[in-house]
Amino acid sequence: MSRQLSEIITEGLTKRFNSFTAVDRLSFEVGEGEIFGILGPNGAGKTTTIRMLACLLTPTEGTAFVGGFDVVDDSLKVREMVGILTENPSLYDRLTAMENMEFFAEAYGVSDRQARSKKIRELLEFFDLWPRRDDKVGTYSKGMKQKLAIARALVHDPDILLLDEPTSGLDPRSSKDIRDLMEELSRREGQTILLCTHRLEDAERLCSRVMLINEGGMVTMGTTDELRSQIAGTPILRVRLGEVSEAVVGAVRSMEGVEEVAVDGTTLSVSVYDVDRVTPYLVRSVVMAGGMVQSVEVLEPSLEEIYLKLVVDEDEAE
Amino acid sequence: MRLSKALLVFRKDWREVGRNWEVLTPIALVPLLFSVVLPLIVISVPGQVNTGTSPEVLIESIMRGAPASVMEMLAGFTEDQQLTYVLFVYMFAPFFLLIPVMASSVIASDSFAGEKERKTIEALLATPLTDGELLFGKMLVSFVPAMAITILSFIAYTVVVDVGTYGLFGALLLPTLEWFLLIFLMTPALSLAAIGLTVLISSRVKGFKEAQQISVVLVIPIIGLFIGQGTGALTLGPPVILALTALLAFFDLLIFRFSVLLFKREKVLTTWK
Repeated sequence: MSRQLSEIITEGLTKRFNSFTAVDRLSFEVGEGEIFGILGPNGAGKTTTIRMLACLLTPTEGTAFVGGFDVVDDSLKVREMVGILTENPSLYDRLTAMENMEFFAEAYGVSDRQARSKKIRELLEFFDLWPRRDDKVGTYSKGMKQKLAIARALVHDPDILLLDEPTSGLDPRSSKDIRDLMEELSRREGQTILLCTHRLEDAERLCSRVMLINEGGMVTMGTTDELRSQIAGTPILRVRLGEVSEAVVGAVRSMEGVEEVAVDGTTLSVSVYDVDRVTPYLVRSVVMAGGMVQSVEVLEPSLEEIYLKLVVDEDEAE
Repeated sequence: MRLSKALLVFRKDWREVGRNWEVLTPIALVPLLFSVVLPLIVISVPGQVNTGTSPEVLIESIMRGAPASVMEMLAGFTEDQQLTYVLFVYMFAPFFLLIPVMASSVIASDSFAGEKERKTIEALLATPLTDGELLFGKMLVSFVPAMAITILSFIAYTVVVDVGTYGLFGALLLPTLEWFLLIFLMTPALSLAAIGLTVLISSRVKGFKEAQQISVVLVIPIIGLFIGQGTGALTLGPPVILALTALLAFFDLLIFRFSVLLFKREKVLTTWK
């Protein structure tokens, strides 16, 4: 990835609190318009990483550049160009949604009153909060607060969004709305999004690349496909048959490119070295041995399996 | 530091404070009690106020530190006039030190410890406002209303006392030089000290109520003034007021320097409880 096109670049980013290392030598880059996920269990260092990128915490070691600005030397510039969704919605319950939005818009330097009003209206309408704009935020549901917090993060049209657990604690419908929004922001507005989450479905659906972290350090990083290939070993073809016979199993076992065959009822799980090359021959062999193929499915590990394999295995190894 | 940004924080905090009855109730009731209710009781029910000592001893104790011109004036008064004068000009004065201390510490507790407790501080710290703008805006919201309430209470007290005692003196008793110095010099210095201390307290407590409870210790020196006047150890005349103001101003400088060091983004997020 070109460094010029990277909106976020970290090099050996480390944060220590006394003897406790919360983030340990993280190096990664996030390209312009990319949705990049930092995935890890609670306490892995996700929030501390976001806080360093938002200039709320100073790195103990290493460097971080956000939008081309150093988070230590140009912290004011970084804060101006970043929109952040913090771990908690951080909204003023005694103020109305309008008052919250007005305050943060002004704090982020949106000084033109008309432009500010227009932007706030646009965002509140987008999130279906416009009819409740004059209600105190304390009367809002958790989902509404989360939407308003995201709207607040967008009020100054930031180039970069740092989102800490954006769907945490939300019902499935609200989670989906927020995921849809992030996709749209990335696709339509070209916003760079760094998403910290422990919800695997968010990362799987949204992120072009994912970094798994655990106990502050990086476990692995790559596209979800790359992560799959890292842990998957040989892919598995699941072949559902009308009936399983010894002839069929024998025919499949004797095929070139097949590593292992497991039988479960009328289903064969076949480990193969090359799915594209083996699949047509496997179907032909089964049919020629008298088998009736009802379906063939390629099994690839989900992000959840990758996560469990890499993070949980690492924990168990210690 | 951009003043407009500090004023933005001021306006936001003031809106929040104005909608919190836990804050509004004490800052409305206490001044009303000291500036209107208590003086009215003293005026309308003479002899019902127990000062804990006989009028003669009280007058003598307080006047020990009073300026010679006041002593001369009092010499020509009747005993009733002397007692009324001493009560309203000297004995009530420390109450008006309690008002700014109470108001500014309650508002500062809500603004600093309350914001932390309600978990709204992180989004605020993430904005491009500087530490100085945030701190100044929050101090301003604790200072301005506290001083406004103190001055309004002083005006109400002056009206009540002057109307109530005009018949006895045939002249206006208040304001006096002591009261001008007290309200316009000493109470601002005291209010700033209370705010500075509340910032320190807020960094060590979990929330608004705890900060408010600990802030009660700020009234101890004022109780000392009550006792000091009652026992004749000191009188809140101009020299004492000026000396205490100078002392408070020095203390303000120290505590503000410490507050600025304490109110850093990282510290607020990590070392504040």
